[in-house]
Order: sequence, then structure tokens, then C-alpha cells
Amino acid sequence: MTAGGPALGRRVARLRRLGGAFRAGTLAAAAIVVALVVALAGLLLLESIPSIDRWGLGFFTDPAFSAVPVIVGTLLTSALALLIAVPISLGVAIFAAELAPRWLRTPLAWMVDLGAAIPSVVYGFWALVVVSPWMARTGEPALAHLTGGTGPFSGLPLGEDYLTASLILAIMIVPTISALSREALLGVPRAPREAALCLGGTRWDATRLSVLRPAAPGILGAIMLGLGRAIGETIAVALVIGNIYQLPTSLFSQGGTIPSILVNEFGGAFGLQQSELIELGLVLFAMSFAINLLARLLIRRAQRETGRGGWFSRRRRRGVPAPDPVGTNLRDPLDRPLWWSRVEAGRPRAVRRRRVVYLIALVLVVGATAAAVYPLASLIGTAVQQGGAAVVTPSFYTSTPPPYCLETNASTHCPLGGIGPALQGTLILIALASVVAVPVGLLTGIYLSEYARRRTSQLLGVLVDVMVGVPSLLLGVFVFVLFLRVDPLDARSALSGAAALSLLMIPIIARATEAALRTVSVEVREAALALGFPRHRVTLRVVLGNSKSAILTANFLALGRAGGETAALVFTAGTSSYWFTSLRSPIASLGPLIYDNLTIASAPNWTIDAWGAALVLLLIMAAVSLAARLVLRADRTPGSV
Amino acid sequence: MASKLAVSNLDAWYGAQQVLYAISLELPDRATTAIIGPSGCGKSTFLRCLNRLHEEVPGARTAGEIRLDGDDLARLDPVLVRCRVGMVFQKPTPFPNLSIFENVAAGLRLLGVRRAEELDEGVVDALRDAALWEEVEDKLDAPPSSLSGGQQQRLCIARALAVRPEVLLLDEPCSALDPIATAKVEALLAKLRDEYTLVIVTHNLAQATRVADHTAFFYLGKLVEFGSTEQVFKAPAEKLTENYVNGRFG
Ligand SMILES: Nc1ncnc2c1ncn2[C@@H]1O[C@H](COP(=O)(O)OP(=O)(O)OP(=O)(O)O)[C@@H](O)[C@H]1O
Ligand SMILES: [Mg+2]
Repeated sequence: MTAGGPALGRRVARLRRLGGAFRAGTLAAAAIVVALVVALAGLLLLESIPSIDRWGLGFFTDPAFSAVPVIVGTLLTSALALLIAVPISLGVAIFAAELAPRWLRTPLAWMVDLGAAIPSVVYGFWALVVVSPWMARTGEPALAHLTGGTGPFSGLPLGEDYLTASLILAIMIVPTISALSREALLGVPRAPREAALCLGGTRWDATRLSVLRPAAPGILGAIMLGLGRAIGETIAVALVIGNIYQLPTSLFSQGGTIPSILVNEFGGAFGLQQSELIELGLVLFAMSFAINLLARLLIRRAQRETGRGGWFSRRRRRGVPAPDPVGTNLRDPLDRPLWWSRVEAGRPRAVRRRRVVYLIALVLVVGATAAAVYPLASLIGTAVQQGGAAVVTPSFYTSTPPPYCLETNASTHCPLGGIGPALQGTLILIALASVVAVPVGLLTGIYLSEYARRRTSQLLGVLVDVMVGVPSLLLGVFVFVLFLRVDPLDARSALSGAAALSLLMIPIIARATEAALRTVSVEVREAALALGFPRHRVTLRVVLGNSKSAILTANFLALGRAGGETAALVFTAGTSSYWFTSLRSPIASLGPLIYDNLTIASAPNWTIDAWGAALVLLLIMAAVSLAARLVLRADRTPGSV
Repeated sequence: MASKLAVSNLDAWYGAQQVLYAISLELPDRATTAIIGPSGCGKSTFLRCLNRLHEEVPGARTAGEIRLDGDDLARLDPVLVRCRVGMVFQKPTPFPNLSIFENVAAGLRLLGVRRAEELDEGVVDALRDAALWEEVEDKLDAPPSSLSGGQQQRLCIARALAVRPEVLLLDEPCSALDPIATAKVEALLAKLRDEYTLVIVTHNLAQATRVADHTAFFYLGKLVEFGSTEQVFKAPAEKLTENYVNGRFG
């Protein structure tokens, strides 16, 4: 120490400067996120002004131009989807976390995670090819028959309507809600569960008494996230709802939602019409913002109910007998009330009744799980069947899309072509987006968990959550109009697409990083600080080191999400059938390739090409979620904690 | 002397790790048995085998035979077994989202007790027996997290007593309690002694001599010695036991 004198002083000063720089870096990243959210809202508002001037409140009432049908359509489809999805998801979560045999839990969890990761364009493709025809031929006629074809089930069942759209939405959000609810259930301490068993409860009783209520806030959060996803879902809905401005007269009517109308009309719109569409986008933004705030409010309330989190049951009993004047100590514990003999005699019957209840619960959750897994299996099966041949053909990955070809026997006479440019484009877009999104997301996450004061962190957390909740379509719209203002020539370009993707990735990475860092215990941090490490070194070495696989996983999941993204790219990256030429011209990518094939009158060989692309996306997602599981599992093995 | 629970050749595993080896002993009816032994020797595991809770742990299994009143435990309905053989854990495990009243009422409700007066009476009696009534009488609707650790433990004892099991397994029930609360619990055990079959795991040897009629000494998953408390503490047959009860133990 004494010998070190001035040298040590210099070293400390240098470390302090470095620490300051690191801290400033995280702060800058957080500032970028704040600026982005403000810019997003501000620009949408700015671009809406012509429409607001023209229509005023008439935007919501004027029959000449009415946003009402699409707003109603958005709310209706989301509500209906939630109605279908919530009970099923709860069943899946309870089965996967509590009641399923051990060997089944891992594959089930993996299936559910995969379902949550499948890109919406793949869901949409499957919906268009499998669900919509099935609804038209079987599902809807059956419903109409059952209900006498009245009220909500009147009209001609076309399979392209509110009901089909809601069903697809439900199928899409079930994995999301199930996965998050399952985590909430697994996060509940196990000990009270065993206590419930020791009172003579079945496994279901144990779940009911000691798990469900404490997990309620987490489950609520999962449901709200599902709702947010349903409100903003674009591609899958656009493919099966008909996309017309029309108030529903029945669930079998065609209609539109804000995102589905936007994705269909925004590309060709300009002037007032563009402004009107952007105002619709603003309404959508407001909706997702409102859902976010509502979710926070509800979860906070649920948590407040007890110190431990979760709803709390009082179930006020009636009239407790007056306290025994003789005093506690004189009661003989062996004294039994008269009614006890009846209860004791009824014990075997009570146990049988508990078993019956358990059985009923089991049947319900297994049914829910089957209902959740069946669509996923059908989707995967269809993709494998239609795209399997393409995926195993090496040239599929290296050729350009095939020329339009209308031979009747498509597979033999028409060339298969490939997805080479789209694959290349997706990789380029992801790489570009990561260059910005990974550092900004990471640093924001670090700032959130390590540096921000409680209030700042909460506020910033709200903004990040808002950004997570913004429908990806709106990110695309935002980037598109932003580029239009800066340089219209770049509005449809690789740069623009990468910008949209990075907006998509930043909040995901930031939130996941924050969550991972927060799991590193205070003791570890303090121990490191006590050893004299400067704070930024603690953060970099100890905290990041301890949670690197969780962070890595989050980055992979964000990359996967970006790889399958469509809605954000339709207006920004545009589409192309050719290999990459320049960052400033449109670029091919996988999601838009599939979407284009479905919306433009398509040749059979194009469809096969699209199914091949869908299967490739599926395989990528499967690999990503499997890798995430393995990495996290390796991290959780004892010893490394 | 009739035995309530007869254990013969009991082995237990967690996955591939065997933690109990050929345990055989008979727990006498309406008497208290203490189980002592160094940490990690399998006392809790043994207790958990007695009400078939062990099998709820993933990968855990047992071999050997346990008879409850002469019936093979493995052939009985585990839910019914746990109605008859209650358990209190080392750490308090109240249901965090049920009120104090509902925590105690939970077992009664599972047994199909519905009438308000009966629930009230059952809950109040159990709370009195667990020496907790006077402390919670005014806050029956509060969450259990509003109680101290020791109070929570007595709440869990009350919860177990409310369903009046025939056998009560207590896994270090007093390790979280202060001396006064411990004395209250011991007084309760003394009262229950004549009617219930009690099995208590304890690290407090003085407590074992105070509450138990019989004592079993476990070491490294094996039963070393089992006999009347007086004999085990005063004239142990085994050298190991002698060392342990005299505190000469590494
Ligand atoms: N859930 C479990 N999974 C794997 N091994 C376990 C588990 N629970 C206990 N063990 C192991 O079984 C052995 C016996 O544990 P047990 O809890 O029965 O000991 P104990 O005598 O109750 O100890 P203590 O006095 O510390 O409570 C220990 O070696 C422990 O490591
Ligand atoms: Mg123990």
C-alpha cells in the first residue's frame, strides 16, 4: 500500500474514469430508448394531423369515413380470442407445471415454447390453407346448425370472418400465455404444496390451495401480454378476416382490424389516406399503451393483496364463539366436539370425493392441453408435408425464387426454385439490426438493473414495456414515415428494414437482460464490492458473468423473433426476388417472401417455395428454443449457482 | 404393546442415492417416539416415508414394508393415509394466500366440513390446542405473513391438529421457536401423548428426554439403536449412540 502511493492513485483515478464512461454508456442507451418511444408517438401524431384536421371526432363517428368498424373489429377479435385462449392456457400451464407426469413435462414445455416462437406469418399461412377451409366446410356450418343459425352465428359461413380470425388469434396466443403462466406457477415456493398433501389433499387440492393464488399476478401478466399480442397481430389476421370496413352483424361477417387494414392499404396510400391510416395506427398505439398500464395496475393490485404476492382469501366465517373465559390451558386437546365422529366416519367418502374432483380437474387440463397441442401439431405436420421436399433439396437454399409457372402438374414440370435471396437478406437484416440492437438493448438492461434509481428504473421500465408491446407493424410504419421524411429513396431499403428490426429487438433484449441481472443476488454483488472491485467491474465480471447464458438466450430469442418477422418489414425492407445489391434498395427476406406468395395470386410452385420457407423458419425456431432450453438447463445445474 | 406403525426393512432413495438402509422398527401406539441423529442422516426422509410423502419427490422411491394398524401402507390410498398421518415441517409452511382462519380450516374443508359453526369450533379448538388462540383471536382474517416465525409454526401445528390425525409426524417443530413457545408446544405434546401416536425429529436431546417415551438413533441412513428414552440416554447399547447422546461427536 505505502509503496504503491502515486501509482495506486493513478490506477484508482483511471478505474474511476472507466467506470464513469461505462455508466455514461448505459445511460446513453437508456436515453436512446426513451427518445425512440417519444419519437414513435410524436411522429405518428404529427403524421395524423391532416386526418385529425379533416375528420376531428368524426373519425370515430362519421359514416363517410369510419374507423369504428375496424376499431370494433380489433376489440371484438381480441376479446373473443382471449375468451377462448385463457381457459385453455390455464389448463396447459397447470398440467405442465403441476399435474403432468414428469417425463411429459419437458417435451410439453418445449412444444409450448416453440408455439410461442413460431412467426405469425407461418400461423397465417397455415390458417389460410387449413383452418379457413375447415371452418367454411365443417366448423361454421356445425355451429350454425347447433345454434339454429341465429344471432352471432347467422349468415353464410365463408371461413373468412371474425370467428376464424379470433380462432387463429387464440391459437397464437395460447402458447404465449401458457408459457408465461407455467413459469409463474413454477415460481411459487414448493413447501406449502407438501403441507396441503399432508392434510389429505390430492395434487389438485395442493395446486388449488397453495399454488394458484400466489401465482395470480404472474398469470395476469401473461394474459395481458397475450391480449397485447392479439390486439397488434397483423399478418395472420389479415389473411383470414377479409379486410373490409364493415361492422359485424354476426361472427360470420367479414371485417377488418386496425393492423389488417393497415398492412393491406398503407403500402399504396398517400396524402390524406395515408394520414388517416396513420391515425388508425395511433389509435392502435394508444390501445397497446392502455393495455400495458392496465396490466401494471391489475398486477400491482393483485400483489398488494398479501405481502407475498397473489390474491388473498378472507372468506369471512360467521360468528366465532366468544373466547373461552376459562382460558386456553384448561381445554383438553383430547376433547372432541360431537360432530367429529360424523366427520371421521365420513373420511373415506370425503377422500373419494376429492379423488373425483381431482379426476375432473385432470380431464379438464388434459383436454385443454390437447386443444393447445393439436393446432401446433397440425401446423408442423402441414409444413413438413408441403415443404419437406423443398427443405431437403440443397439448391433450395441457393437459388432464386422460381418463375411464375402454371403447369397443372406443378411438382414435376415447374422448377422448384429456392429462397436463396430471402435467406441472404434475412441474415443481412438481422446482422445489421443486431449491430445496433444488441449493444443498446444490453446497456439499457444493465442501466435498468444496476444504475437506475428506483423511480427512474420504474419509469424507464414502463417505456421499455410499452416498446415491447408496440405491434411490430407500427414499428414498420414509424420507420417508413421517418425515412420518408429524411430521404424517401431509402424508405424501402435494407437500411430501413434493419432499423425496424432493431426497434423490435432492443426492448426484448433490454428486458431480458434486466431480468437476468436481477437474479444475481445482492450478496454476490456486495461481496464483490467489499473486495474492492469498482462498480463497473462488478457489473461486467461478476454480474454479467453470472447471468451470461440467460442473456445469451434472450439475444437468441430476439434474433429468432426478428428472423421470422413480417409485419415490420412489409413497408420497410420491401420485397425482392434478387440477390442483395445495395443497402439502399429493397431486400428479400423470409417473412415477406411467404406473405407475398399468399397475397399475390400464386402459382403452385410458388406455394411450395413458400412452404419451404415456412418450414425453414419453423426449424430455426425449433433450434432456437431447444438451444435456449439446453443453455438455461445447463446453467441451472447445481454448482454453477 | 401394540404398534401403530410397523416398519420393516425400509430402504429409501433420491434418484440413485440411497439414504435409508434396511430400517426396521415398531412405533408404539399412543406414545411419543423421538428420532435423533446428526444432520443428513435421513431423519426427515424416514418421516416422509411414514405418510408416503417421499414418493411425491421426483425420482424418489422406497423398498420394504410399512404397516399402519396392520395394513400395508403401499396398498392404502395415499390421500387417506395422509388424512390419518399428519405432518408438521421444520420450517413453517402456511398457505400464504389463505387467512389465518382459512389456513386452519383448510383440512376440515377437505374433509367435507361445511357448516360454519363446525368450522368455527374446529378451528378455534385447534388454535387453542396449539397455544396460539390468544395471539390471533383478533386477527383471524389477516394473512399468515403477519405472524412471527414461531407463531406461523404453531399455526401449522394447529392446521395439522384440526383434522385430528391418528399419527402426527413432527420434523424439528421447535427449531424456529423461542423457549416460551417451545415450552408451549412441549406442553401440548405432553397432553397429546396419551391419545396420539407422535413421532418427533429433534436435534435438542433434552427435548427428546422431556417429551419422548421411546427414542431412535439414526446414523448415516441406518437405525443404530431403538429403545425406551431412558435406556437410550442412560444406558445405550451401542458405542455410537453413547458418543452422540453425550455430545462427543464430530
Ligand atoms: N430432495 C432431495 N433430493 C436429493 N437428495 C436429498 C433430498 N432430500 C434429502 N436428500 C439427501 O438425503 C439425505 C438425508 O436427508 P434428510 O433430509 O432425510 O436428513 P435429516 O436427517 O433430516 O437432516 P437434518 O437434520 O439436517 O434435517 C441427505 O444426504 C440429503 O443430502
Ligand atoms: Mg431434516
